[in-house]
Amino acid sequence: MIKVSGVTKKYPARLAVDNISFEVGRGEIVGFLGPNGAGKTTTMRMLTGYLPMNSGTIEVAGFNIVNQPNEVRRRIGYLPESCPLYPEMRVDEYLKFRASLKGVKSSARRAKIAEVKEQCGLTEVGKRIIGQLSKGYRQRVGLADSLVHDPDLLVLDEPTVGLDPYQIRQVRELITQLAERHTILLSTHILQEVEAICERILIINQGKIVASDTEENLHRKLHACSIIEMEVMADQKTAISKVDALEGMDVRNSSVLPDGWLWLEIEADSPSMRIELFNLAVAEGWSLRELSEQHHSLEDTFVQITRAAGGHV
Amino acid sequence: MSVFLCLLKKELRTCFYSPIAYVVMFFFWVLTGGNFIWLLSQLAHGESLTLATQLMFSGPMLTFALPVVVPLITMRLFAEERKLGTLEALLTTSVRVPELVLAKFAGALIFYIVLWLPAFAYVYIQNYLCPPEVIGFPDGGALWAGAIGVVLVGALYIAVGLFMSSLTSNQIVAAISGFAVLFGAFLGTMYMAYTAQHPGIRILGQYFSSFAHMMDFARGVVDSRIVVMYLTHTAWFLFAAVKIVESKRV
Repeated sequence: MIKVSGVTKKYPARLAVDNISFEVGRGEIVGFLGPNGAGKTTTMRMLTGYLPMNSGTIEVAGFNIVNQPNEVRRRIGYLPESCPLYPEMRVDEYLKFRASLKGVKSSARRAKIAEVKEQCGLTEVGKRIIGQLSKGYRQRVGLADSLVHDPDLLVLDEPTVGLDPYQIRQVRELITQLAERHTILLSTHILQEVEAICERILIINQGKIVASDTEENLHRKLHACSIIEMEVMADQKTAISKVDALEGMDVRNSSVLPDGWLWLEIEADSPSMRIELFNLAVAEGWSLRELSEQHHSLEDTFVQITRAAGGHV
Repeated sequence: MSVFLCLLKKELRTCFYSPIAYVVMFFFWVLTGGNFIWLLSQLAHGESLTLATQLMFSGPMLTFALPVVVPLITMRLFAEERKLGTLEALLTTSVRVPELVLAKFAGALIFYIVLWLPAFAYVYIQNYLCPPEVIGFPDGGALWAGAIGVVLVGALYIAVGLFMSSLTSNQIVAAISGFAVLFGAFLGTMYMAYTAQHPGIRILGQYFSSFAHMMDFARGVVDSRIVVMYLTHTAWFLFAAVKIVESKRV
């Protein structure tokens, strides 16, 4: 669906995007992450044809952004970062205006607007003035606008920024629904959002793509070993020496909890090694009340990747 | 509906939704009203009819007001789109920049013509009160020539204002810079045309002074050179605005 190869964008004072290449397949939901100023918005603006690039090529659905910009724009529904709207217009008026600009045929316009309003939960507010709507509703108007011409690809630049937690959940649910019918490229700062919605993650840092994979694979690549937590009723010294004696295991941390149980943090080659720990506890006659694998958060992974690439978070 | 018409309709709607439009209308109509009263008093004192049409279109109250009024109409055109970020939303649809610039120009020109409508209505009021066969006013030809002059000068002023608005995202900056350029050019060329000592400078001033041109149009003189000059200057500023919008996107 999207094919970006060797794209570079220079601003007068800095290099915003440095020779990036990536692809997004049809039907994929890709999270586009990166620290502030990493080049996310610039990439999205080039992808939608708003900003010209200095070198490289961008193709959307097989059309080149430079040679066939209108073909590309027809296939992209774009929600810019600030969700720009005309505050003096009514919701219906605005959607009608945008639909005509995007070439939705007048015969189909009314039905299409009703459909996107329904989809985005705007049916009740069609007659309201946009400037008087809450931020959450304005965001929905922006999303409805990006959907009105039935695009194949949705490019959403931080769609939940500035919303309250309830509105974030609503917009996230809406995006999840949209994912059934559209390819989505979503940039955000909220990593839970990516964990909840996206199938694949692209991380950009200082204008370069530093990672592109599924969340699981990223974790796997970064965190070669697993961390296992264990709580047993046993003597601290004996337990540590017994666990360390097992192959591929190393106790990283341990402490006796206030209720007398011993807590161990164990570095293991694989999470499946929990079975060996269970067998050890049975063999030694230790009571066992906790044996679990510690999950790495996307936040850890993100921080690690962008730090490794010399960025700041 | 074509993209251009759709943009034009939106421009007009935004223009008439904004309070500034009504403030501008109020003051301009007060000025045209005052101008008309003055014109009537001049006629009552036996002033010549030629001067009457000149007062109608190029009375000092109006000509001095235009460099102030036009930037107030044009300041919002691009500055507001930049500020709101809607320029990005527009230019990521199939809207082309020249189309957008022309739609904004046409919208502002229509509003400008609406500003002048009462002035034409006054002519008919005058006709009704005092039939033309009695005093011979207005002279149809001079009236039309005056109208052409008003539109041509307005078109150029609007193109300059639109260009200034395309340079910034701040409406106040757009208005003040538009005012500075238009008023500076207006006074500068008027000074050259009427008070400069050197005959060459005087002639040059007369070529460029919109005050002098308005006087000519109002006398019924439509000089094709002047018409071409206004049209080309307008086109040049619109072209420059297109180039600015195309290149200045962040």
